[in-house]
Amino acid sequence: MANLTIDGKEYEFPDGTSLFEACREARGEALPHFCYHPDLSVAGVCRLCQVEVEGMPKLTIACNTTVREGMVVHTRSEKVKRASQQILEMHLINHPVDCPICDQAGECGLQDQYMEYGLYESNVTQATKVLKTKAKVIGPQVILDQERCVLCSRCVRFCNEVTGTGELGIFNRGDRALIDVAPGVELDNNYSLNTVDICPVGALTSRDFRFVKRVWMLKSADGVCPGCATGCNVRIDHEGGRVYRLKPRRNPEVNGSWMCDRGRMTYKALHDERRLTEPRRGDQEARWAELQDELATALDKGALGLVVVSPHQTLEEMYLAVRLAGSPGKVVSGPADAGMREGDSLLLDADRTPNRAGLGVVGISELAGKDLAAAVAGARGTVLVLGGDPAADAAVAAALRQHGRVIYLGTHGNETAGCSSLVLPGAAWAEKQGIFVNRQGRWQAFQQAIARPGNAREDWRILAEAVGRQDEEAALGSLKSVRAALAAAVLADPSIDLNKLPEHGFAPGGEN
Amino acid sequence: MSFEGLPQGSGAKEKSFKESLYLWEVLRGLGVTLRHLVRNIFHTGEMPTMQYPEEKRVYSDRFRGRHRLTKREDGSPRCVACQMCSTVCPADCITIVAAEHPDVEIEKYPDSFEIDLLRCVYCGLCEEACPCDAIRMDTGIYEIAADSREKFVVDKDFLLNNTTDGTR
Repeated sequence: MANLTIDGKEYEFPDGTSLFEACREARGEALPHFCYHPDLSVAGVCRLCQVEVEGMPKLTIACNTTVREGMVVHTRSEKVKRASQQILEMHLINHPVDCPICDQAGECGLQDQYMEYGLYESNVTQATKVLKTKAKVIGPQVILDQERCVLCSRCVRFCNEVTGTGELGIFNRGDRALIDVAPGVELDNNYSLNTVDICPVGALTSRDFRFVKRVWMLKSADGVCPGCATGCNVRIDHEGGRVYRLKPRRNPEVNGSWMCDRGRMTYKALHDERRLTEPRRGDQEARWAELQDELATALDKGALGLVVVSPHQTLEEMYLAVRLAGSPGKVVSGPADAGMREGDSLLLDADRTPNRAGLGVVGISELAGKDLAAAVAGARGTVLVLGGDPAADAAVAAALRQHGRVIYLGTHGNETAGCSSLVLPGAAWAEKQGIFVNRQGRWQAFQQAIARPGNAREDWRILAEAVGRQDEEAALGSLKSVRAALAAAVLADPSIDLNKLPEHGFAPGGEN
Repeated sequence: MSFEGLPQGSGAKEKSFKESLYLWEVLRGLGVTLRHLVRNIFHTGEMPTMQYPEEKRVYSDRFRGRHRLTKREDGSPRCVACQMCSTVCPADCITIVAAEHPDVEIEKYPDSFEIDLLRCVYCGLCEEACPCDAIRMDTGIYEIAADSREKFVVDKDFLLNNTTDGTR
């Protein structure tokens, strides 16, 4: 441990802690910076995080210094302020200041730090700036503006250290130095949009989000990516009932600061034209009120033959499905190979469903397509299909068609909806709260971001109502009570409050 | 509840027979009308009424009338769709959809630019926020009338060309 003084107060940090992180903790906010990133190597090129350390002849950059016993550090002295102003002035010499047309405006490091530490009259009188290439398409997802770049090299380090693909580099010297891809190379990997996130200015911007929305208009909710079993923590940026982009939220236990491009595009399915918005009986649109009695009879304990749960559903919904069916044998999931594709060694899992581990938590077994078809054929009474698209498997589709009394509660008009006599519109992942259990067995809660389309309803509410009709004492009127019942049923320590899961998720029985 | 003991209002005052006829008051009122009539006939220049629309009030050059979009030299809109105006607008009356411009020097332009003149409060914050001097309220047009709500929502072409008065 090292004892040191930062801005007049004493702190203790473990040996080897970066002075940058120590200052972040001591000040409650980060030092001004462009090139430092907690999940990348230290480059020390932007020179913005300079602090005064007593006994050192000159200012030193905090990112490339480790804490030392007896260090006395000043981060708010006049000397430090002047240094960060001068460095910022230098970064802005050739910056085009085209904020009105820049997608980064509103979340830009140059803007924020100029307002916080800059606010100077520029000493630079030269009228012409060094011109570089603007709006250069460098890959399927990313567009580059070399003039806006401050050469922090975060994107270059990301491609070298995280993906190991090395598409980007810094070319030329001095004020003609620029970021570019080598001739004939494209920034085309499944993690390319992370370079956009870590770019502190508007040099790298997303082609998908380009000119779509100004960022200050967006509201955010904490979500979990539904794209695969990794369960990357995401920020859902939405406005007016529409999701515009997903950004990774830092979780060192799961995804670090990253997420894959494929996962980022999962929001598009929310606004798919195949979304179910109204209940349907056969070809006829129906109203929820008319269906009350029908649902009560069909989902009664005696009448319910089989529940097929998709690994896309939340843990609460899976638990309610088990409660509704009454006996574990009546709840299955499948086909077991649905959603299995090729993964990679970084974040993208071969299993493209977010909550397959949740099936195991509540004790739902997975069946192969053939077995699932047999189970459907042998079911006496209503078959309730919860989400997913089991009928993508031809054998299951045939069995569902043959059976006739099939209720589908899902989000999209797919094969299964076509095989069902009653189709109920449910809520998609961004339209409800819930818990996903990822491939590590980590329970991660996510918030609701947007409203449900049309007359879609939350799946857990439909299930909880049906459970309530079977058992008057169940009284699962709120998600809170569902979670309490879930904790009591499956956790060794039922006192854990599932409404207040830790920020980085919760692994029962494992390390947290 | 009882009103006894409270001071009485003027309505309760007893009128004499002469007062209740209102004859004198009616004549006095007619006298005022007659006086103004005679004065306006002989001094038409001093009449406060304006003969609108033949005659119109002169406003200051700084009067904020209906908006217009300014053009570049080649006739394309100066607007770069930065949405500063729609952000600052307190009435939320400006809707802009941005698009990629084929000329990389311009990069961004408004694919559609709509102002709902019924929602606009003519505060002028949009002009003030605009970094490109693309939106101005210097047309001096204040006669904004139409026979349906839809016609008050004016589009990019209308704001750029600004040929007609009123709404589209």
